[in-house]
Amino acid sequence: MEVITTAAGADSRGAKSAGAAPFLAAPVPASDEEFAELVDTLVADPNRHDQLTDLLRENHPWYNERGTATVAQMRGWVLLGFARTGVSDHALLFVLEELDTGIDPYLVATAACALRSYAKPNPALAPFVMRALAQNRYRDDPVSFLAYADYSLGPEATSPVRELLLTLAWLGPHARTVLPELEATVKSGGLSKKALVEAHRTLEAIRGSEEEPDCCKLPDGLISKFSWAAKARRSSESIASTVFEDQDGAGITFNEFFQGRPSIVVFFYTRCDNPLKCSLTVTKLARVQKLLESRNLAEQIQTAAITYDPAFDVAERIRRYGEKRSVRMDASHRMLRATNGIDSLRQHFKLGVNFVESLVNRHRLEVYVLDRNGRVAASFERLHWDEQEVVDRAIEVLAERKKPARIATPMMGTLASIAIAFFPKCPVCWAAYLSLLGVTGLIQVPYSPWLQPILAVLMIANIASVWLRGRATGRMIGPYLVTLGALIILASRINSSSLKLAALGIVLTLAGSLLGVFTVQKSSAHLNF
Amino acid sequence: MKVELQINNTTNANGRFVGWSPSPCRIRITDPTGATTQTVVVKLSAVSTATGGAVVFRKTAAGTSSTTLDLSLPINGASVPFFVVGRKASISNGDVSIQARAQIANSPIVGVIRLMVRIRKNAESLTTAERDRFLAAFASLNTSGRFQDFRDMHTLLSQPQAHGAKGFLPWHRSYLLDLEREIQTIDPSVALPYWRFDQPGPKLFTLDFMGVAGPTGTVQWSATNPMQFWATDSALGVTRSPMAGWTPTTQPGPGVITEAATFALGTTYVAFRFPMELNPHGQAHTRWFGFIRSVPTAAKDPLFFLLHCNVDRLWAKWQRINGRFDPAVAASYDSAPANPGHNLPDTMWPWNGITNATDPTRPPTAPGGGMASSPCTTAPGTQPRVQQTLDYRGTISAASRLAFDYDDA
Amino acid sequence: MTTKKRASKKAAKAPKGMSALAALSVATNAKKTTAERVSALAQAPEAVMKSDENLQKLCDVVKNTDEPVEVRLEAINALATAAFAVATFEPYRNDYIATLQEVAVDPNQEIRESALGLLASEKNKFAQKKLLDGLKNPAKALVPPEKALQLLSYDVHTEAYAVARDIISNSPNELAKQEAMRLLAADPNSTKLFEKLLRDKDETREVRQVAASALNSLAPQKLQEHAREMLLDDSEYEDIQATSLSAVKQFGDDEEVAKDKALLKSVNRLSADAKSSKYKKSAKDFLAMVAEKEEK
Repeated sequence: MEVITTAAGADSRGAKSAGAAPFLAAPVPASDEEFAELVDTLVADPNRHDQLTDLLRENHPWYNERGTATVAQMRGWVLLGFARTGVSDHALLFVLEELDTGIDPYLVATAACALRSYAKPNPALAPFVMRALAQNRYRDDPVSFLAYADYSLGPEATSPVRELLLTLAWLGPHARTVLPELEATVKSGGLSKKALVEAHRTLEAIRGSEEEPDCCKLPDGLISKFSWAAKARRSSESIASTVFEDQDGAGITFNEFFQGRPSIVVFFYTRCDNPLKCSLTVTKLARVQKLLESRNLAEQIQTAAITYDPAFDVAERIRRYGEKRSVRMDASHRMLRATNGIDSLRQHFKLGVNFVESLVNRHRLEVYVLDRNGRVAASFERLHWDEQEVVDRAIEVLAERKKPARIATPMMGTLASIAIAFFPKCPVCWAAYLSLLGVTGLIQVPYSPWLQPILAVLMIANIASVWLRGRATGRMIGPYLVTLGALIILASRINSSSLKLAALGIVLTLAGSLLGVFTVQKSSAHLNF
Repeated sequence: MKVELQINNTTNANGRFVGWSPSPCRIRITDPTGATTQTVVVKLSAVSTATGGAVVFRKTAAGTSSTTLDLSLPINGASVPFFVVGRKASISNGDVSIQARAQIANSPIVGVIRLMVRIRKNAESLTTAERDRFLAAFASLNTSGRFQDFRDMHTLLSQPQAHGAKGFLPWHRSYLLDLEREIQTIDPSVALPYWRFDQPGPKLFTLDFMGVAGPTGTVQWSATNPMQFWATDSALGVTRSPMAGWTPTTQPGPGVITEAATFALGTTYVAFRFPMELNPHGQAHTRWFGFIRSVPTAAKDPLFFLLHCNVDRLWAKWQRINGRFDPAVAASYDSAPANPGHNLPDTMWPWNGITNATDPTRPPTAPGGGMASSPCTTAPGTQPRVQQTLDYRGTISAASRLAFDYDDA
Repeated sequence: MTTKKRASKKAAKAPKGMSALAALSVATNAKKTTAERVSALAQAPEAVMKSDENLQKLCDVVKNTDEPVEVRLEAINALATAAFAVATFEPYRNDYIATLQEVAVDPNQEIRESALGLLASEKNKFAQKKLLDGLKNPAKALVPPEKALQLLSYDVHTEAYAVARDIISNSPNELAKQEAMRLLAADPNSTKLFEKLLRDKDETREVRQVAASALNSLAPQKLQEHAREMLLDDSEYEDIQATSLSAVKQFGDDEEVAKDKALLKSVNRLSADAKSSKYKKSAKDFLAMVAEKEEK
């Protein structure tokens, strides 16, 4: 599927609410009935539909300590809520996610049902529905939509296959691309009698219409499964000291592994029982590694698979898991488990996962490209990701370090500091300075006191930029020196006879600025072979 | 004078295992001291322990068998081929040895090699030592993590590859072979035993072997049985209890058809496969409550593999009775079109590594990689084809020999 | 709630020469004897997959509480047998699961356990909910707590851990405690609990054996340490020492073991003094194995 970009990072950085504040403030529902009522309340209020979407985040606190079955039940009910409200562009990604990788009959059925409430059928949706049909046809268990946690199986009972067929019928001519596959499925003789009746109606709906759908036009406003986090790259300072153990039992901190080179990071756990998720993710990581090798980039771009379940997934387990999926494991490519700082890790990546005790109860697909400072530069979430696309993004991030070192910025700031220190206090000094600099021709240039505030702003800008670089790298000596230097220069302005003080301030400012630049350069230079 | 003997044409000690089919061997002179001519005649003979296995010799694969064999060996060290055929199953590794005696002055023994006639046996006929070796190796496989692949191959998502279609028997033959070879990397003397589900199992269903159901249906084991540490999917132990009214140690599986009735289902693969997949195979599965009763959980129970070993033995014996080893003979298989993985020339998932990334009929991943290799034979390779599973004895083509045999097939 | 016990009876003979359709006809005929119908059901699965109507006939037998329990149970088995032919059974699975869900709440406990067992192996959410509800509220229990825990352990992702811990602390019976332990073996945070149970000589042998197995799964090195200590402890029960020896033999470090004189001495003592000949033999075999490896 082509990548469709709109608002970047809306999902991974927290649901953006168009209207009222997120529902997180509400206490955890104490019972099934209360949960169902709360969802119904959100459904009934058009101003709160975004809060309904928020309920689909895996890490929503209402899913804490709930078993997988309960989580599936809750999520399915929310999806059915969308069937009544209409699926927004924001919510569409969650619906497609369930079709793409879901194997729970209730969730797949509710997602298929919800999709029919999307604004308009679109050809891009058909492959998701067909894929879900192929993946779930042997698990066509009966489900009920009548009420929350209802398992009654009267005439109103439905099933994932039935719902998927109905959705394909809804797509009509927009599902023509999957017509051959559907025909093959029908011909295979595996559908039940009831499903066959539905299937024939679906085939008619797809073949019968004279409407020509727009070929491959992607719906406007669909949230991308891929997003650049360029403008929102989080500092890795808080996670710098997170400690991992790799597949060989070797300890390594976040900074030690992820600083210095871009990385491709996937998350998994060995007890995941959805083969469309973790097992496939790690298998695809192996393919990513092969792609990197084929382009001689395996030493310039690292890879890591980090487990959600570090207590159970000890070194031996993750090593075997990787080996069985042909994952390359060496100093630049590791399977990791966090032995401390797990919460920081979750926050840094804003992981889409939740737990019952220490066990994962639900997680999304998530792949990240980190820049050489360990900051998340790009993410692929929820839907199946393409190995080549991930590698391409990582190469783009790698190319960022080839931009010329921005020595000019700190130098300009330093010069501004120097200029402030020695700014003439009067027109006579101004003239004297100009003579000194041999610019006699410019002696006619009038004394320009308005330059002072501009230079001051430049100096402050320099200080700010050095601080930002320092926080990014974790090395704070530069910012401290620059700040001290600036304070000393200001003090020298107040004490007009203190040239030595001014000189000291300049030296400290210069030292702090240059330390910041060369520290960043050094950490990337040593790996450039 | 010294000679070097190779069983299965390998110097690998783990290759010194033979079955009922002719195993290619060779012999060569490595030290011609004492030779007075350009060739030396060497007599091969087999020596067994009282309870050990027995072998005979052939000059060619199809030649006549004899208890001794004279071979003329050049002193330049060139190898001379011969074949060894098992005649009686061994009970321990190396309980048969082949002696090479040079026909020169004093008739010295110039070479000895110990081997084993390694055969899949009825679990009821195993000696205590054989049983314990099997259990120890199987328990090790379980804990090593490699067993998880076999578990992952047999979940519901992957079942259309293996059940309810004509590839059912070839797929399970390959599955068992892969597992057995993995066990043999731990202990090469082990062959998979089978559970005769149409007979009582007085030894099999004991605390020292496959365990006894406790009051809740959780299987109990003796304190010396390594299976007491069995775990799958991070859950402990095995849930298995016989259906009400059945005592497995004294009664056959209720309603499971006999061996004779199984063979009587039909003489063509088409007539034979589907009915036998239901009964005795499916029937044997559902005589229990617990893991083995249902497709998604069956492979969590070690008994599952003994059950399927018997299913495979029934197929093997049916093949022998009806002469159905040749894929080119229509009655040997089912030529009706089917999904990939079920037709004769097809490779099979998961060993072929094909997933739904390229073929929508396949599962999303292919756990475990290619078929395990064996030092005893190069067949079937890492990606077995359906047709390779038919000629498992190398009857049609010696190169097809898969290096396993049954005690009564 | 106790399982109804029946006297062990002669197993039904496999029917001879009956076609699948004929077998289904006999199986669904209320006028035939129970034995005839149970026997015929062994041949019925193939007929089930020939049409929806055939499937429904068998499902109706399963659901009919007026039918003899033996026939209903065997009908469930026939459906489960047919379900093994996954690709061919595909069109019928939906009705099969629906039938199982319906009888999971049957008045008869054997029927409930049979259905819930099959549903649990499918990680069926309905079954999991019913089992969990029954553990939390005994008035809603469909099966005894030990059975519920056992069936819930089929899926490590259930939310039964808290309940399992409660049951270990306040177990209604020993069996429930053992099943709760088996379920908790999926929880790495329970390692200390298992260590405690393993070393507690007041616990039953079965509990301690489950604890050993759980530690082998969660923290194998810890099991090796405890196993060694228990072998060295003269006051320890010999069956636990036998389990410990199994652990060391099977999963221990051969080199470390060979150097451990104190351990070998203890095993030697076991080989001479154990009351059980089986344990003596196990100890002797272990020493022989160590000696053999030393020679090599």
